[in-house]
Amino acid sequence: MIDDIDRRTVLGILGALTALWIVAGLVFPDSWAGVLLSITASPSTHTAMLRLAVPIALAALGGIFAEKSGVINIGLEGLLIVSAFSAIIVTFWLGSGESTMLLSHHWWGFAVGVLASTLFALIFAIVCIDFKADQIIAGLAVWLIALGLAPFASRIVFDSPNTAGVGRFQNVTIPVLSEIPFFGYLLFDTPPQVYLMLGATAVGWYLLNRTAFGRWVVASGENPKALDTAGVDVRKVRYAAVVLSGVFAGLGGAGFALGQLGTFAGGGETAIGGRGFIAIATYLFANYHPIGALGGSFLFAGLEALQIQLQNLGYAVPTELIRTIPYVTVIVVLVFVGKTRLPEAAGEAYDSDED
Amino acid sequence: MSDPGTATERGGRPNAELAVHLDGITKRFPGVVANDDVDLRVERGSVHALLGENGAGKTTLMNVLYGLYEPTEGRVVVDGEERSFDRPRDAIDAGVGMIHQHFMLVDTMTVAENIALGSEPRKWWGLAVDHDRIDREIEDLCDRYGFSVDPSATVDELSVGAQQRVEILKALYRGADVLILDEPTAVLTPQEVEDLYGVLEELTDQGKTIIFITHKLGEAMHAADAITALRDGKSVGTVEPDETTREELAELMVGREVLLEADSEPVDAGRPILSASGLTVEGNRGVELVSDIDIEVHAGEIFGIAGVDGNGQSELIDAITGLRTPDEGTVHFDGENVTSWSRRRRIDAGMAHVPEDRHEQGLVMPFDLVENAVLGSQRSARFATNGRIDWDGVRDHAEDVIQTYDVRPPDADADAESFSGGNQQKFIVGRELERDPELVVATHPTRGVDIGSTEFIHDRLLELRREGKAVLLVSSKLDEVQALSDRLAVIYEGEFVDVTDPDAVTEEELGLLMAGERPDETDARGRESTVDVDKPADGGER
Repeated sequence: MIDDIDRRTVLGILGALTALWIVAGLVFPDSWAGVLLSITASPSTHTAMLRLAVPIALAALGGIFAEKSGVINIGLEGLLIVSAFSAIIVTFWLGSGESTMLLSHHWWGFAVGVLASTLFALIFAIVCIDFKADQIIAGLAVWLIALGLAPFASRIVFDSPNTAGVGRFQNVTIPVLSEIPFFGYLLFDTPPQVYLMLGATAVGWYLLNRTAFGRWVVASGENPKALDTAGVDVRKVRYAAVVLSGVFAGLGGAGFALGQLGTFAGGGETAIGGRGFIAIATYLFANYHPIGALGGSFLFAGLEALQIQLQNLGYAVPTELIRTIPYVTVIVVLVFVGKTRLPEAAGEAYDSDED
Repeated sequence: MSDPGTATERGGRPNAELAVHLDGITKRFPGVVANDDVDLRVERGSVHALLGENGAGKTTLMNVLYGLYEPTEGRVVVDGEERSFDRPRDAIDAGVGMIHQHFMLVDTMTVAENIALGSEPRKWWGLAVDHDRIDREIEDLCDRYGFSVDPSATVDELSVGAQQRVEILKALYRGADVLILDEPTAVLTPQEVEDLYGVLEELTDQGKTIIFITHKLGEAMHAADAITALRDGKSVGTVEPDETTREELAELMVGREVLLEADSEPVDAGRPILSASGLTVEGNRGVELVSDIDIEVHAGEIFGIAGVDGNGQSELIDAITGLRTPDEGTVHFDGENVTSWSRRRRIDAGMAHVPEDRHEQGLVMPFDLVENAVLGSQRSARFATNGRIDWDGVRDHAEDVIQTYDVRPPDADADAESFSGGNQQKFIVGRELERDPELVVATHPTRGVDIGSTEFIHDRLLELRREGKAVLLVSSKLDEVQALSDRLAVIYEGEFVDVTDPDAVTEEELGLLMAGERPDETDARGRESTVDVDKPADGGER
């Protein structure tokens, strides 16, 4: 780790470059800098960013709880796939556009999506906590199983790795508040999964930082023995944290599928496309801070939104290269900023019977 | 057997004096009897020492009291009431608190968060932790027992002594009336030990009962009101310190006569074996951890380095043994400049090393003792030909070490991690000393080792010295470095504050030196460079 590089210097250089770009963009609107600036400033980019951030931010929030408690959940990608796929297929089966018991079938599908991810997380928890399996291998298994299961099930139902379309959530517009200039349209005229993302982040932050449960989660990841001797069952705390990671990731996957995609493409790396891994990069980047992770997901989703807008305008942008940005950022953050610190006992099974 | 618990209930003489009564406790593990019909009576408001060697069953007994183990036979009586604790929570609820040898603190959390962990008071229908109440209660406890801690400091900013007080506060916060301290002085400086004794006195004055587990005689004699000795899982007697002597107590504990003072008769120091000059080691952040240290160790000499852990000892030893390249300075071994030599070359040349952390550096824990015996010699002609290891030869060697150094149980096929710390240490010392080295660098060679084995390790070091080998000894135990060393250096913040004749200084003076006080503050700078570190001081007189 390199500690000599002053964080302020890095931030200063970044700030100066940004200022230079903005000035150049304003002075030469037809240049690259200018086009980029106008896209960056356009409301449609912002809206897209918020929607694209949903799976990343919620999976990252889930990952924070699991890893803070000492269980590295590298299977977030799998949880996103499972919840996205089950949300779509259940909505399809029930028949989209109708409702049962006053709840539209989109919401029933959403609920089942969250449930599916939670169940997967529970199985992962049993394997890691009670059977003390290697967390990384178990996490990879969650991903690989989901990666195979979703297109397989889709093929049975639709005879294609891609499901039929089921339509999307409508925007929920909050009167008056949505009229606020600059950010009203962004925060108060948006699909439900964006509200969920913002709400869940706030709840997650509170849970982790202000409640006794949050402290137990932190203690369980730093020094489980201390928690055990203090009379708290480490096993239960870890179970709760991992299951919670399934709930959050499920909200992200189901919300993204029903609010953004409207269908599920199961080919290749599926419609989730590595967002669960970007989520891991995001929370490491944010040093396990829920609100920081939300900001990080805005950053990475913002880059994706930019790239989509540029493509729409006919500029050739290397998608694959843009996708590497989150990982490069994390490596830079881990190596040069050195602020991220893994919980002391992360990745280790806890055996309360020791001595 | 008399039964004061029920006597009280029958309305006999009130026997409220006994805070804890362990009555005929037997604890069997598969194949082992860890406690055999042990009786322990602890009076309220007293300090009771539980004395015994490693593996005597002290910790097992206390784990029974703390609810970690269920006794096979026997009764646990707390406050005159028979109890059965299934888990620590039950013991905590009954007013029994335990301060573990390795602190059970979360380093990244604050003092207040640690103290309240698992027992957080809630507000807003359980939705939030009541921080104000925690702070208030900690303040009350501090006032009452004369502690001073900052509840908002994070634990990793605190000294070891302060962390221990946090542990004690944690137990008190949970309403503990009986505090079990497991080897509480193992990690403390002499001054911190004194402070701890003060704390114990304050606690017992206020009616708390203390049980402390130790294998150090001096501690038990000094701090306890009563001492119960355990040997091989049996209690071999309870005595009061003013009715006994250290020698008697040692005999009780070990079961045979023990020489408490290592006997270092004079030996003529010979040629310099190790000489290092201007050694400087920088840490990751460019801070000097070792600053310009000169050191010379002669054949037939034990050179001691005393100091509080973390003052550069580890880095100095790493530079000498080749685990780390010094940023400046040179190391000469037996006349040759070895500064750039690899660790392997140094081992081959006759430099043995008993490392400070037996788990990290001394042994491969999941390997058995046979495999561990060959570590460091895996390429030597004695055990290997053409890169093939002669396992039969290694096994013989491992069994020799096990026998000579009394490693128990004597099972060469058992994994290193299955041995107790003391036995692991004996094995490492044995392996290193049997290399037939010219120089032994021994870092905390008796840390966590019981007195019987300590005596043996000391004897072996002195024997090496008689044979004309050089020994560099680093220890935070003052009595050890003082008794064994021919010359003694005190290290503080990476520098030698003084190099002296260990017989000419008192333990108090050493304690002050270890805390960084220079021998003569007025010309400290001058003295530092003029101290004659190159010649053995009075080596011949001792």
